[in-house]
Amino acid sequence: MDWNKDKSVMLSRVCIVVFAILLAAADIGAYWLVSWFMGVSRTLGGLRDGYLLLTTVYSCSVFAWILLVNLWKLLANIQRGMPFETSSVNYLRVSSWCCAGVCTICLLSTLYYTPLILVSIASGFMALIVRIIKNVFEQAIAMKTELDYTV
Amino acid sequence: MGIIVNLDVMMAKRKISAGELAERIGITPANLSILKNNKAKAIRFSTLEALCRELKCQPGDILEFSDDNETE
Repeated sequence: MDWNKDKSVMLSRVCIVVFAILLAAADIGAYWLVSWFMGVSRTLGGLRDGYLLLTTVYSCSVFAWILLVNLWKLLANIQRGMPFETSSVNYLRVSSWCCAGVCTICLLSTLYYTPLILVSIASGFMALIVRIIKNVFEQAIAMKTELDYTV
Repeated sequence: MGIIVNLDVMMAKRKISAGELAERIGITPANLSILKNNKAKAIRFSTLEALCRELKCQPGDILEFSDDNETE
């Protein structure tokens, strides 16, 4: 198969759509998902823990939606052949804050369910990676601007 | 202000239009305009060489250093 950058961007877009569908399904079926998890979990029990877990899922979902929208817009910039624009830096900044938001929520959720610390660490690490990529983009934009004005 | 490009002065002295100069030195009129209007962040030696050749002048005739602190 003749693989090129357009197809790569298209694959990324398809992945975002797949994640959006999964997220929508998780949002719709969160109640049943939490009920099932409460059944199989040994540490979680009672109505209070159920509501807390549901709150965690829905609050993380908000950040996940914002993240997906921003990634979609970033891919649109890349597809237009203009990835090094100020808007791309903003999309990455928001994405990083979304990961940091999920990190915080999961960290607070460890008060009632300790294993969520793993999700918290993973999303915190992801926030750091995205933040560094954002810094790289900022530097690249500065270099591009200078190159554009080199005669 | 830093470095000032006095290209328009030299062009007037040599009686050459922007379009003609751009064509002779092999850059686009848009890029020449960037240079002429002091918007450029850098100039390539090859461009400077071509400008000096076509305008029959020295780099110092085109570029001038202006100290901001002195004027304040």
